[in-house]
Amino acid sequence: MLNSLAYTLVITGAPWTSQAPQTALMFATAALSAGHRIDRVFLYGDGVHLASSLSTPPSDETHWPQQWSLFLKQHGIPATACIASALRRGLVNETEQARYELPAENLRAPFEIAGLGEWVEGNQAADRTLYFHGGG
Amino acid sequence: MTTLIVIDQAPYGSWSGREALDMAFSLAAFDHPAAMLFTGPGVNWLRKGQQPDGVGQKSAEKNLSAAPLFGIEALIADEHACQQYGLSESAMLPGIELASNIQNVLSSHTHVVFAG
Repeated sequence: MLNSLAYTLVITGAPWTSQAPQTALMFATAALSAGHRIDRVFLYGDGVHLASSLSTPPSDETHWPQQWSLFLKQHGIPATACIASALRRGLVNETEQARYELPAENLRAPFEIAGLGEWVEGNQAADRTLYFHGGG
Repeated sequence: MTTLIVIDQAPYGSWSGREALDMAFSLAAFDHPAAMLFTGPGVNWLRKGQQPDGVGQKSAEKNLSAAPLFGIEALIADEHACQQYGLSESAMLPGIELASNIQNVLSSHTHVVFAG
């Protein structure tokens, strides 16, 4: 396909307090169907709430963390939550749970936790890096 | 390719500026060229003599003074915003470049990141 691009998406707005995760998901879906690639998704700042396995919206509302998780699995797209943003906001995987002796872990698969180096690498590798902010 | 990190919000009121600062330092740590542009209320990050203890935060002043040491290429302030917020050069941290046309600064970078 002509002009096919590789994208890195950075989401900094949280679900239900901002529109960022759903706008990003709609963009990602449209990009794939137009023949582009999503190489990586990076959650930063309040965006890390998207990776929580404990979010439970009312049953008549769209479950954005679940939708994102399905989308990532379906297309085999790696997604990372920034470790510093995640720890500050109460999002931990098993490793961090053990390290800080916390009562639980709450990272939704297939999201992973890693440092800003993943973002730097994503910037470098992608043709375009797009940011989805919370605003306000 | 230098990445321009833009801070357009005042310090301490929200966490986004602090996290934007982390992004700039992280780029530099991985040997990717980075520069920062302060505009709008964001120019207040560049004020000397910040006393964030009163609101229970750490000073950004120390981080910003160390920016060249960590490999950040430039700290650029929007001259118009500085005037608007009464920030004279003598009240500013040393080593800041003033830009009279930030449109030029933005368009001379292919990669621009706004603090969200």
